[in-house]
Amino acid sequence: MTRRTTIAAAVTALTGAALLLAGQIHAAPARAPADAIKARQAGYKKMGAAMKQLMDQLKSDAPAKDAMLGAARTLAATSREQVSLFPVGSGPGGAVKTDALANIWTERPAFDAQMTKLVAETGKLATVAAGGDVDAIRAQAKATGAVCGACHRQFRADD
Amino acid sequence: MTEPGLIAQRVTVWDVPVRLFHWLLVGLIGFSWWSGEQHEMDWHRTSGYAILALLVFRLYWGFAGSGTARFAGFLRGPRAVATYAAGLLRRQDAGVPGHNPLGGWSVLLLLATLFAMVGCGLFAVDVDGLESGPLSDYVSFEAGRTAAEVHGLLFNLLLGLIALHLAAILFHALVLRHNLVGPMVHGRAPLPSGATWQSGRVGWWRVLPGLLLAGGIAYAVSRGFRF
Repeated sequence: MTRRTTIAAAVTALTGAALLLAGQIHAAPARAPADAIKARQAGYKKMGAAMKQLMDQLKSDAPAKDAMLGAARTLAATSREQVSLFPVGSGPGGAVKTDALANIWTERPAFDAQMTKLVAETGKLATVAAGGDVDAIRAQAKATGAVCGACHRQFRADD
Repeated sequence: MTEPGLIAQRVTVWDVPVRLFHWLLVGLIGFSWWSGEQHEMDWHRTSGYAILALLVFRLYWGFAGSGTARFAGFLRGPRAVATYAAGLLRRQDAGVPGHNPLGGWSVLLLLATLFAMVGCGLFAVDVDGLESGPLSDYVSFEAGRTAAEVHGLLFNLLLGLIALHLAAILFHALVLRHNLVGPMVHGRAPLPSGATWQSGRVGWWRVLPGLLLAGGIAYAVSRGFRF
C-alpha cells in the first residue's frame, strides 16, 4: 500500500471505532413503556416500604440505626433508578394501567425538577442516617416526605 | 292528618348517653372525613381515636344502658323484621318509641361498619409510607396498604348507609308522620295510646365503667400498645 492509502485506512478504521464507541455510550435503549411502568411501580412500592420501615423505627422508643440507614440507602438508590422510567408513551391510556398523569409529559421540566429534588433529598437522608442523629433523621425524613407528597399531588392520580 | 293513636303522654325514649353518642358521632364522622381529605393526619387520627372510644362506650351501653339502648331491646328475629317491613309497605308503624326491627339491625350495621373502618385505619399506611395508623408498624407495608384501601372502600359503604339512614328518617317524617329527630335531641317522644311502656332507666353511675373502658382502650390503641 502507498503511504496515503495507509493513512486513509487508519483514519477510516479509527473513525469507525470512534463512532462505534460513541454509539455504545449514547445508545442506552429507551425502555418499552409497559416495562418502564412495571419497573417504576415496583420501585415506588420498594420506596414506600423503605419509608415505612424508617418511620416505624422513628415511632419506637429505641430506633435501630442500622435499620434506618438501610431504609434510607434503599430510598436514595431507588429514587435514582426512577428518573429514567418515565419514557414517552408510558402515560395513561396504554396497555398497562398507571397512576402517572398525562401532565408529566406536558409539564416535563417541572416533573424532572421534582425528580431531581427527590434524588437530592433521599441522598441527604442517607447521609443524615449514616450520622445517626435521630432528630436529624426525623427532620430529613419529613423533608423527603414533603417532596413525595408535592410531586404526587401534581403528577399522580388521586387514590 | 292527625296521628290517630297518639295521646298526650310523652316518655323519655333515649337516654343522655345514647343521644350524646349519636350527635358526637355525627360531628366526628364529618371531622374525620374533612381531616382525611385535607391530609391533616394528626387530626384525622385523633378523631378516629375519639370515634373508637364512642364505639366502645356504645357497645358497653348496649348491655348496661337503659331499655331502648340495649341491643336485646331492639335486635329482633327475622319474623319480627318481616312483619314490620310488611306493615311499612302499608304505611303502618305503631310509633312505639325505640328502634323498630328494621332500624335496629341498621344501627348494628352502621356500628359494625364504623368498627371495621376504625380497625382498618389503625393498621393503614399511605402510599408514601409516611403517615400511618398506630398499629401499622406491627404489619408489613403491603398489609398496611390493603388496610388503607379497605378503609376507603368501607367509607363508601358508610356513606350509603348514612344516606339510607337519612332517607328512613325522612320517610318516617313525611309518610308516617313520626318525628324521629326531636326525640334524639331532647329524648322525649309521644307514646301511642294502648302501648305499654317501661322506662328501663338506669342509674347515671353506670356510665362510669363504660367511660373508663372506652377511654382506656382508645388511649392504649393511640399509643400502639407501647407504654
